[in-house]
Order: sequence, then structure tokens, then C-alpha cells
Amino acid sequence: MNMIYILFTLMFGGAILTFLAHKVSGLLRDTLFVLTVLASTVLFYTKIHTGDTVDFSISGLSLQWGINAYGRIFSMIVLGLGVMASFYSVSYMKGKERLGYFYFNFLISLMSMMGILMSHDLVSFFIFWEMMTWSSYFIVIYNGKNVQRSGINYIIFSALGAYAMLMAIVMVYAHTQSLMIPDMMQAFPFFPAAYKIWLPILFLTAFTVKAAMMPLHVWAPDAYADSPMAYTSVFSGALSKMGIYGMIMVFVTMVNYLPDDTWFRETIAWLGAITAIMATLWAIAQDDARKLLAWSSVAQLGYIITGVAVGTPLAMLSALFLSVMHALFKATLFMAVGAIEKQTGTTKFTEVTGLIRKMPWTFISSLLAIIGLAGIPPLGGFVGKWMLYESLINSNHYILVIAIFFASTSAFLYCYKFLFGFFLGQEEKEWEHVKEAPALMVLPMIIMATLLLVFGVFPGIVLKPIDLGMQTLGYSTTAGTFWSMSGLFNEWGNQIMMRPLAYAIGGTFLFFLIILTVKGFKETRYVTTKDISSSGEVPLEHENLTFSEGFYQPFLRAVCPVMKRRMMTYYQGFGQGMEAFFDYLRRVYSGNGQTYAIYVIVFVVILLLFKNSLFG
Amino acid sequence: MVGSPVLFIAVPLLAAFLIPLLGMVWKESIRILPGLVLLYMLVLAITLLEQVMHTGTIVEILAGWKPPWGINLVFSPFTGILATLMILMGFIIWIYSYRFKNVDFEEAKKYFILFMMLVTGSVGIVLTGDIFNQFVFIEITSISAYALTAFYKHRDSAEASFKYLMVGSLSSMFLLLAIILIYSQLGTLNMADIASKAHLMKPEFKILAVIFFIVGLGIEAEIFPLNGWVPDAYAQAPGPVGAAFAGIVVKAGVYALIRIIFTLFDVSGTHQFLIVIGLTTMIISEMAAIRQDRLKRMLAYSSLGQMGLVLVAFGIGTEEGIFAAMFLLINHAIGKSLLFLSGSYLVYNSADKYISETNGMGKFLPVTSFLFALGALAVVGMPPFSGFWGKFFMMSAAAHANMLLIIALILSVSLIELVYYFRVINRIYFYKKESHITPKKPTVNAVIAMATLGVIILIIGFYPDLISGYLHQASQALLDKGKYIQDVLSTGQLLTH
Amino acid sequence: MNFTLFDLKIVEYSFFITAILVIMIGLYGALVKKSLIKVVIGLSIFDSGINLLLISIGYITSGTAPIFSPALVKDMPLTLENIKKLSEGMVDPVPQALVLTAIVIGFGVTAVALSLVIRLYRHHQTLNIDEIKNLKW
Repeated sequence: MNMIYILFTLMFGGAILTFLAHKVSGLLRDTLFVLTVLASTVLFYTKIHTGDTVDFSISGLSLQWGINAYGRIFSMIVLGLGVMASFYSVSYMKGKERLGYFYFNFLISLMSMMGILMSHDLVSFFIFWEMMTWSSYFIVIYNGKNVQRSGINYIIFSALGAYAMLMAIVMVYAHTQSLMIPDMMQAFPFFPAAYKIWLPILFLTAFTVKAAMMPLHVWAPDAYADSPMAYTSVFSGALSKMGIYGMIMVFVTMVNYLPDDTWFRETIAWLGAITAIMATLWAIAQDDARKLLAWSSVAQLGYIITGVAVGTPLAMLSALFLSVMHALFKATLFMAVGAIEKQTGTTKFTEVTGLIRKMPWTFISSLLAIIGLAGIPPLGGFVGKWMLYESLINSNHYILVIAIFFASTSAFLYCYKFLFGFFLGQEEKEWEHVKEAPALMVLPMIIMATLLLVFGVFPGIVLKPIDLGMQTLGYSTTAGTFWSMSGLFNEWGNQIMMRPLAYAIGGTFLFFLIILTVKGFKETRYVTTKDISSSGEVPLEHENLTFSEGFYQPFLRAVCPVMKRRMMTYYQGFGQGMEAFFDYLRRVYSGNGQTYAIYVIVFVVILLLFKNSLFG
Repeated sequence: MVGSPVLFIAVPLLAAFLIPLLGMVWKESIRILPGLVLLYMLVLAITLLEQVMHTGTIVEILAGWKPPWGINLVFSPFTGILATLMILMGFIIWIYSYRFKNVDFEEAKKYFILFMMLVTGSVGIVLTGDIFNQFVFIEITSISAYALTAFYKHRDSAEASFKYLMVGSLSSMFLLLAIILIYSQLGTLNMADIASKAHLMKPEFKILAVIFFIVGLGIEAEIFPLNGWVPDAYAQAPGPVGAAFAGIVVKAGVYALIRIIFTLFDVSGTHQFLIVIGLTTMIISEMAAIRQDRLKRMLAYSSLGQMGLVLVAFGIGTEEGIFAAMFLLINHAIGKSLLFLSGSYLVYNSADKYISETNGMGKFLPVTSFLFALGALAVVGMPPFSGFWGKFFMMSAAAHANMLLIIALILSVSLIELVYYFRVINRIYFYKKESHITPKKPTVNAVIAMATLGVIILIIGFYPDLISGYLHQASQALLDKGKYIQDVLSTGQLLTH
Repeated sequence: MNFTLFDLKIVEYSFFITAILVIMIGLYGALVKKSLIKVVIGLSIFDSGINLLLISIGYITSGTAPIFSPALVKDMPLTLENIKKLSEGMVDPVPQALVLTAIVIGFGVTAVALSLVIRLYRHHQTLNIDEIKNLKW
């Protein structure tokens, strides 16, 4: 049997076995779960090579699975995060209910993401897409917190996207008689003009829903925040990237062939930028770490979307690089929030403070992730953002650069809020008993934070597979022009002249940091957080000095006119209007038997009156 | 030859009459006999279906009168699949209701007799090749359906049944009118004969007959302005009967309508009419479904919507469209029956069957809830369950016929469907149970029946090739009108010596 | 000869017209009357009207019932011509058979309807169809 079949059998069978093992014993279930993820990862990287395909047919539709270099970029995210999150969730989910259900859906969603990357035909793509939707939906509602709101929002928007995609698929199928994605790409330039406009729009509807682009983003904050953190790391890190995966394909294969693609690209790029700005503002306003990170995910995806939409080779490179980086740092942060939630029982900044000494490893990994998120060198986020700015400037999108730059600098605000709220500030009695999270939860965070650092210093490690993937999409190789792998440090961007200067500044900074630390080491004195005086007064033991309430009020007051209009209210208004209309309409079923009989007679009369126009 | 199509009608009818007699001797026999009969019919149906797929349509002549005059039964790939489906559903519903009214012998006897009549009538509608005979079978089905709807004495079931009866008797009147018209014009009642002579009819009479047929059969096929009785009847009938309505009776109604439109007359505009009326039915009933607060009414409206979709698929009229319609039909029979069967356990002990009373049942009735969720996923067309293929084939057939607007409309209506099913699933799994409801554990046979349906959903979902070969033959058989006429009438030639 | 033809038409039309009138009366009863019993009666009348219509199709003026055929002459071979000769003057038997079936069915439906009316009266204490609307929307 082909290895690709074995991969899917393994994941699907593992999901079912894990589900069944829940009834037997918890240990067996956890072992099976982790083993399934590990085994499929090992199998994928050892036995399945780029270019492997399998063909089969279902009901006369010929389908093909396989993997190309482009899919491999994303498989790296999916399986890498999958392994990390699986270890993490074994510890995180300990003692919760319905674990069989959770692990089953977890594995199914991993499998369907791999399926999306490995589908070479539209039908299996759609099948895996929908499986991804329902499996992630079942995890979103797992916590049972406002399921009717966040769950239903998620399913409505996902289904809206999926149905748009289904429509596009059948349009392609009816027109080309083939379901293969390569066939579609080849035939696209010869489609009728209306198809050429509608197909990318329909496909993009599906993909931008998953990538949470304005105005289809409203499901995302709730869904990210309400699912268990062990899964949100995958959800925000990998699942949303499926939208990016599809978007890139649409842009490369369809938008490039539009007679006039500028307006199309500009619209999407601007929507991405607006998403980034608005979501950043909303993230700043949040008091709950989960919500903050959820909005921040939306914002980060906005940058990526802008990069994809601009579409120059450098922009594409930066978008793909940012996708990998975003997966790493956002997963780390969600896991950190999960660890804090596990240890303290809350995720609100206003409640938890001063965890820096109690959860040092969580702090260090969050710190690294935050640095990566904020785009500060030498972590990965900086490399990606640098390339994005450069590509925007090179393609003359100056206003877009300003917008992105605004969003990116505003992100510092919530980054700081996250670090300060949880880890810094006054230590309170209430949290004295808090200990570091279990090793199984800490390790994945540390590994990913370290990777973030490694990729920041040696971006070539990631850029190389990305370059291979982009060559599959038809770009010429970017190695050597935009980046190169040298012995010590990697280089990126096309303004290599900047590099020595940057390193010189960084080196000086590091030098003084070390000098000062060594010099001041002897004078170090450990104090409690109450060992201060403000305006000459020494605070009492019970006094709360943490000002997490109303963080950034002045800033929010300044931007509140922009935030007043929420997309959600429009959708809600629409939904309520529709339901009221349905309520009115269903009164045709009046409940009176005689009325129904009259309907019959009226129907006959109408048919008789219009018989000549109805039936020839 | 293991048996002939006439056994599909004779055996269950005989069983229906034998049930009270045997009940006098051995009380358990009233429960066992229908099952044995249905199992025999199922085996026979599958054997015959296999044979028909290879050797072609079986036409059976009753009482030695050759086709243009006598009654004949046609077991073609198309009718055969429908008959097999109905018998299969009948058998599964029998397993489910084996312990129905366990303590009350008289009630159980009535139930099983009426149920056998319902199956007989429905299978008869599909198999018969005579238009008046079809009318008689429709009446057999309807009368037993009226009685089954009014089965529970303490509910509003009599009201539902009376509405059904009022509209249903109008249906039979219009059918008779149509039959009169045809007979006065052509002097024949045989479908194949009518089809071959239809061009001799005066066009205005032909259109009149088609209209009367559409109204008469539209009531059975539950098309929009004629389906006011449906939600009441589905909701008030006992659970298994609701499943039988969705899985067996509607199918017969749709078959009859399709047979009239595709085979009997070739009036132009009927296909477009099917599409329009199917879309209307679908849109209005899905809109009503989302606002329901009672579980079974919601399922009933949803069933209407699905059948509307089936009619649209038939209305496309291409081989692909009919194939998709058959796929949707089978999926609807299985999925909606599963929903009715499991749903009636979810609200077993509640008086008003509110959706809110399913809250938190996932914890108390894990298997039933799981199967309900599976059925819901199949019905809304989530891959990899059976509903997805039906939906996909339907969409691609519509796209081939260049009906993009219709696809968009259907898909947006499907969104509504998705919302209300997922709302119920959320309630079942993630809400707190209402304190006044005591969950009722399903009996073993009920679990077996529901699990069988669940397994079928999964099998078709993962391996649609299992049925798609049959369905392709079936859709060709429906479209090939000439062959139908020739098959039926040539059998007559053979017997005249 | 002309006279009989005219006569025949009048008779035939009178059947049709009566049947349609009966149908209309039945419809009126079923759709307008508020009492359940009257509705059932209306349906029943509608049914009779249809049956009348059905019979009138096969009717031949001064024809005989299809069982009253001229005596079968002995040794008469059963050829098509002979059968035609025998069946001359008979009304068409098929509509009659149909009507018989339809009457039986109509009887069954009416019986079920009346029993439902009894149940409804016990449940709602009224026969007004407008007040029996527990199930709606």
C-alpha cells in the first residue's frame, strides 16, 4: 500500500482508537494520541517525498493525493505544531471531561489539514476543508462557553466560505471536466470573462474566512478565545494558515491572469492592512489574555494577507516566512496562557499578576515569543516584517507601509500589556501557591521559543524550504537575490548594506548589557514588590499597586471613534432581521386545516390560469 | 428465480391480515411476523435488483391480462432501487419499533397492521404500472397514514390527522379527475400505453391532466403550497411513523410525481416547474424550520426542505441530475429517519417535545445523541458522510446545466439548515439538562436500528461507489422512456400467444 | 336519428353538468363551512361528484350493464368481431369498476374522518374548525 494511504489510515485510525481508548483507560488514550501524532510525523518526513502521488477514483471522479514543495512549507507548521500541542495537551487537558471527544477531533483536524495540503484535486480538498471545519468546530464548543454564539458564528462563516468554494469547484468542474488543481490552473486563462472574476472571488471568500480577514473575521476572536488553549495554539497557528495556503494559490494561479489585477490586489491588500490595524486596536482594549491573543492573531494574519496580496516575490517570501513565525510565537503565547490558566484558574490581567518568579520558564518563553511578535531583532518576527516593509516600499505601496507600520508599533502596547499584566507587577498573596506548570507543558513552549530565536538568527533554515515551495508556484528562485545562507549569520532582504550596521548596533548593545550585568552583580539586592515608596508613602501589605484595570485608557480614548463601528453589530442586525422575516413568513402554515385545503384549490386555480405560460 | 415482484405486495398484505389472527394464538407473533415478512422482502428485493441490473427490467402481469388492459408490475432499475430502499427502511423501522407498546397488545396489533399496510401501499405505488392501481395504493398508504398519525390519543394527533385527511382526500379527488381525463381521451390506464399514446391526446386535455396530477401527487410529494399538513403529521405521529413518513411515504409520492412528469407526458415546462416549485418548497420550509421550538416539527420542516432539493435535482432533468436526485433521496431516507428515530428518544419523556428539552442529553444518552449528531451531519451534507456526495453531485449537475444562480440560492438556504442543526447539537452536548426531564434509555433493538442507519451513513460516505453504479443504471432507466414502453408492452405481446 | 343524437347530447351534458355542480357544492362545504361534520359531508359530496363524472364517461344512452349481454349463442367462435357484437349496447365496464373502487375508498376515508371528528370533539369540546389550531407555524 502506498505510504500516503498509510499516513491517512494511521491518523484516522489513531483518532478512532484514541476515542475508543477513552473508555478503557486514560493512560492508554493519552499514549495513543501522542503516538499517533508522532508516528504520522515521522512517517511523513521519512517515507513521503516531494512529488509522491496516488491516484484513485470515487464514483467516477478521479482524485489524486500527493505532496509538493509548496505543501511541505505548511506541513512543517501543521505537524510541528501538532507534535508540540499534542504533548502540551496531554498535560493541559488532564482531569477534564470528554477527553476522547477532544482528542478525536484534535486528530481529525490535524489529519484534515494534512489532507488539504496533500489534495491535488478539488473534491478531496473540499472534503478535507469541511472536515477541518467540523472537527475544529467541535473543539471550539468543547468548553461549553457561549456555544450558541461563538460556535454558531464560526460554523456560519466557515460554511459560507465552504459553500462559496463548493460553488467555485462545480463551476470549474462543469467547465473543464476535470477536478485536478493543475488542470484548473492551466485552464484558467481560457475561462470566460465572468468566470475569471467570480472564481477568485468565490475561492477567496472561503480562504479569507479561515484567515480571518475583514469583514469575515467576526468569528475569530470568540472562537480562538473559547476553545481550549491546547487546541487554540494549533487553531491560530496552523488552521488559520490553511486560509493563507489557499489564498496564495488563488493569487498565483488566478489573480495573475486577470486582465486587470491591480484593483483586486489593492483591495485585498488594504483589507489585510485594515484588519491588522483594527484587530490591533481591539487587542489593546482586551482585559482577557485569550481575547488579546485572539485579536492579535487576527492582526498578524492581516500582515500576512497584505503580503500575499501584494504578491511580489519578496512579499510572498515574507508572507510565508511570517506564517511560519506567527505559528511559532502565537502557539507559544497561547500555550503560556494555557499554563497560567491551568495554574491559576484565570486568564484575566486584572486578576493575575507577578508570576515572574513563580513561573520563570513560562515567562522566558513568553518573553521570547512577545519579542518575536513585536518584530524586534534578533527574533524571527523581525526578519519577516523587514522583508514585508521592503517589499511594500519596492512596489510603491507607501501608504500601506504606513498603515502596517502603525499596526505593528501599536502592537507593542498589547505586547507590553501581556508581559506586564501576567508576569510583572506586584506579587499578591492570592497567587503565592502558584507553581511552574508541569514539564510537559513548559517544554513545548521552550522548544518553540528557542526555535524562534534560531530562525531569527538563521532565517535561511526556513527560507530554503519556502524558496523551494515558491519555485513550485512558478516563482524563480529567490536564493542569493533576497537571502543567502552564509556560515555564521544568514542574510535577508535586498538591502544587504544595512546588515553590518545592524549587527554593529546589536553587538554594542549586547556588550554594554553584559558589562553592566557583571558590574552590577555584586550590588544585587533582593527586595519584595512592596519595597518601594511613592510620594514618600510606603505601601501597606494588603494594598494593591497593580494598575491592570483600565490599561491604556488615554490611547483607547484617542482611537475610540474608529472602534465604535463593529462589524459584528451589522451581522447581528442582519441575522435578527432575517429571523424576524422567517418568523413572519412561517405564518403561512396557519394551523387551520381548511386554510391548507384552500391553498390546494388556489394552487390549482393558479396553475389553470397560467397553464399556457407554464406548460407549452 | 427466487420470486416475482407481486410478492412485494401480496406477502405484506397477507401478513397484515394474518397479524390479528396469529395474535389470537401467540401474542408475540404480531411483532415477529412483520419482521420476518420484511426480511424476506428485503432479501427478495436485493436478489431481484441484482438480477435486474444484469438482465433488464422485470415486468410481471397480474391475473393473465396483458398490459394494455390488465395490471402489471414493473421492477426496473429505477423502481427496484426505490422499492429496495423502502423495504430496507421498513425493516429498520420494524427493528426499532419491535418493543413498541410493549404492554398494550391491542395497540401494538393496530400499529403493526397499519405499518404493514403503509409499506405495502408505498411499495405498490412504486412498482405498479397501472395508473388507477397506483391511485388505489396511494389511498391504502394514505388511510393507514391517517390512522397512524392519530395513533396517540392524548396528544393533538387527531388534529394533525384530520388536516392530513382533508388535504389528502382533495389529493385523491384530483388524482381521480386526472385519471378520468386520461381514460376519456385514451381509453387506457396502463402507464406505458398512456406514454406511447400521449401524443394522441388533445393538448389542452393533456395539460389539464398534468395539472391535476401535479396537484394530486404534489400533496403526497409535499410541494410547497400543498404541504401544510406535513409538519403536524410528522410531529404528532409516533417516532417510528415519522421516520416511515420521511423514509418511505414521501419517496413514493415523489416517485409518482416524477413518473408522471418524466414518463407519461412530455409536456414542456414541467422540468422548469419542478425546479421552481422545489426551490420554493425548500426556501420556505427551511425558513420555517429555523424558527421552530419543537424538535419534531423542526425535523419535519427540514424534511420538506430536503425533498424540495430532490425535486430541483430531478428538475434539472439530465442523467447526472437524476443520479444526484436519487443520491439525495437515499441520503434523506437514511439520514432523516435516523434523526426521527434518535430524536424521539431525546424528547421521549417531555410532553411538548421542545428543542430546549434535549438540553444536556449527550451525557445521559450518549449513543442516541451521537447518532443524532451523525444524522444531522449527514443531512446537512458535511463530508465525509453520505449527504456530501448527494450535495456535490447535485451541484455539479446544476453547474453542468449552467444553473449557477440556483446553486447559489440552494447553498445559501443550506446555511440556514446548518445553523439550526448545529444549534440542536450544541444543546444536546453543551447545555445543562432541564431538571424536570428524565431521560429514557433506548431499548436494545432501537439502538441496533439506529446504529445500522449510522453505519450505512458512514459506509456510503466513505465508499459511495457501493450505490453509485446502481443509481447510474436507475437514472438511465428513468430517462429511457422508449425502453420502458417497449419493456411493458412487449411482455403483453409475448403472453397473447 | 338527429333527434336521438340531440337527445344523447343533452343527457350526456346533463350528467357532466350535474357532476360538476355536485363537486362545487362539495367544495363549498369542505372549504367554507366551519363545522367539522359539515366539512366531512362536503368532502363526501365532492367524492360523489367525482364518481358521477367518472361513470358518465363510460355511459351510453339506453345501454345495458356490462353483465347483461345477449345470450351467447352456442358454437359461436370467440373472434374479435363476435366479441364486438356481443358488447354492443353495453356501457364501458372499466369506469364502473373504477367507481366501485373509488366508492369503497371514499367510504373508508369518510369513516376515518368521522372517527377523527369524534376524537377531536372529545379533545377540544368543539367542532368549530377555526378553534382547533393547537398545531401551527
